[in-house]
Amino acid sequence: MKKPLKLMAVVASLTLITGVAVAPASQAAGKVKLCLALDTGGVDDRSFNEGAWKGAQASLVSNAEYLPATSSADFAPNIKKFVDKGCELIVGVGFAISAEIVKSAKANPKIKYAVVDDAGQDCDANWNCKDVPNVKGLTFQTDEAAFMAGYLAAGMSKTGKVATYGGAPYPTVTIFMDGFARGVAHYNKLKGKSVQVLGWDPANPKSGTFVGNFSDQAKALTISKGFEQQGADIILPVGGILGASYAAESEKSKKSLTIWVDSDAYNTLTAGKSIILSTVVKEIGASIKSVAKDVADKKFTASKYVGTLKNKGVSLAPYHDLSGQVPGTLKNEIRAIRDSIIAGKLKVN
Amino acid sequence: MMRNSLSKFGQAIKLPGLSFGLAFTLTGFIIAFSDSKVLSKIGSPLEFIKSAGATAGNAYLALFQGSIFDINLTKSHNFFQGFYPLSETIVIATPLILTGLSVALAFKSGLFNIGAQGQFIFGAIGASYVGFHFHLPLVIHVIAAALAGMALASIWGGAVGLLKAKTGAHEVILTIMMNYIAGYFILWTLKTSQFLRPGRIDPIAPEVNQSARLPLLAGANLRIHAGIFIALAAALFVWWLLTKTTIGYKFRAVGANGQAAKTAGISVPFVLTATMAICGALAGLGGAVQVLGSEHALNADIAGSFGFDAITVALLGRAQPLGTVFAALLFGALHAGGRTMQSNTGVPLDIVLVTQALIVLFIAAPTFVRFIFRLKKLNSSAGLTSKGWNG
Repeated sequence: MKKPLKLMAVVASLTLITGVAVAPASQAAGKVKLCLALDTGGVDDRSFNEGAWKGAQASLVSNAEYLPATSSADFAPNIKKFVDKGCELIVGVGFAISAEIVKSAKANPKIKYAVVDDAGQDCDANWNCKDVPNVKGLTFQTDEAAFMAGYLAAGMSKTGKVATYGGAPYPTVTIFMDGFARGVAHYNKLKGKSVQVLGWDPANPKSGTFVGNFSDQAKALTISKGFEQQGADIILPVGGILGASYAAESEKSKKSLTIWVDSDAYNTLTAGKSIILSTVVKEIGASIKSVAKDVADKKFTASKYVGTLKNKGVSLAPYHDLSGQVPGTLKNEIRAIRDSIIAGKLKVN
Repeated sequence: MMRNSLSKFGQAIKLPGLSFGLAFTLTGFIIAFSDSKVLSKIGSPLEFIKSAGATAGNAYLALFQGSIFDINLTKSHNFFQGFYPLSETIVIATPLILTGLSVALAFKSGLFNIGAQGQFIFGAIGASYVGFHFHLPLVIHVIAAALAGMALASIWGGAVGLLKAKTGAHEVILTIMMNYIAGYFILWTLKTSQFLRPGRIDPIAPEVNQSARLPLLAGANLRIHAGIFIALAAALFVWWLLTKTTIGYKFRAVGANGQAAKTAGISVPFVLTATMAICGALAGLGGAVQVLGSEHALNADIAGSFGFDAITVALLGRAQPLGTVFAALLFGALHAGGRTMQSNTGVPLDIVLVTQALIVLFIAAPTFVRFIFRLKKLNSSAGLTSKGWNG
């Protein structure tokens, strides 16, 4: 009993002593200390958190670090930790963390904050909101790119039916579905066709199809197969990794093509690449890079960043393997649509 | 007498203590060997050992800084603020003590309560609703909210005991399945107009009124709240119930041998239902304390992993109230410290889970620990009288 305990004490104290003796690595001078408070789901979620972290790492003007959240109870202490560490720019990833970011921003007016997918405003119980001078909201007009995707899907569908569904009815999700449905409608109007959208109707949001979360791939697969049986041959699942099982399955069955969301699936997926028609890209990373640069240049303002086709905050990814199947005229039409959205001639919402 | 009780205490903490030390040593190796900087020095043994020791040492130093006391905070703020990490440790440990007690008490009656997660959720729902919906006087509001949560959770837990007593269904299956039901129930609840916060469409309830919040103990800068006293009082209650009351004696008798207890005239169905109802109330109080003390608003993942960590905590605490309190504090410290470890040294937060898992592994395999430390005997069964699957 005594001996092992003694041994353990020696080992423990040795590690402690060596630990104290070595000073932690010092921080490179002149760079912005950029700290990401992530949403739940881990840093390698192939979607949201991962995109944000990659963007932060790619920023040349900052030293980035992150803290993952195991549950929403971690949001507040994670942000507090960054405040105590002397972070100059704290980015909350996801609108779920927005309220905590705003709370911290009001208590620490000298620190700059940003929040992804939310306006980052201070709202009271009656939902009267006002701007906070040191919080920048990073939002995305994803419906612009989704509109192009809808047009593409309508033009590519052989059955005259396309489908979309979401993880949960959050505005950040339904905006994809709105754009998609309107893109299809635009195609129908121009070509005098009647391509149908299953799973979402912008005029009747309560009838939309949703998985209920952003992780149940099995349920997403069931929903996708249901749409295939109803005749849909192009499907847009809106919810990060949700569509992965379906894409892998569909690669074998060849029943439908997939349009992905957030970051170009061709670069992240392992199975299902060959049926990825395109991706509605949302450049979370680029938005974080841009706000980091603002802080470095001392040009930070609380005015919202809105990712659009124009500033390349959102885009439609290349067709990759399926490029040969997309008719040249359709490609040109989609390019023209993008130009007129950028020029403000075509309204998507 | 004194010496005797000391050696008894030594016996009681021997296995958890050794398991804890072993887990930490092993985790130290994992931290060192998963660091590319350390591995690059594998050519020269002395440099390698130095670098490995420094990496693991820094990680554990950060773990300490993040869970007990951080000297840097005293420099930038004041001396008092240096204890911010300790406050965080206690904030996380508070609900964990309560869920841990829930599992520990069930152990004593020979039941595996895997359902602390679901009971926690119902406690949180009840406390949240009373907290934001009603306007009551100061002290009364907190008590009413906590009692509402406990009542709901107690029914949810008690149902398990009743089902087991009446139908013989196994409590492990029942509680696991009821966790799922509770998990989806809270998702549904948060979508109802009663619970949805005005202006929001994501699953989050309104914040509870000021009068329903547990008072902060050390000012607005530290999150430590009065919930810790509730948790400690609950631990005292469980100890008193088990050792000083007839009901507690019946609980332990059924736990030790259900057949014998029945022959001796103890109503086993009553004991099963009462135990699970009290267990539910304890875990539910954990949920209530989490809502009223630190989170203030109900959301879909309010329960985090408090209900599941509780099983580990109760195991580590050997199903003793005091042991459970210490085990919960340890887990709170690991979680709070893990944050600083990740932030200061880049060692991922997940390594904390590895440590937790190793502790459980060693406790579950006392023979292995005995072999490592060449101990002749290691009393591993005392305190845990659960009869397992066929109970």
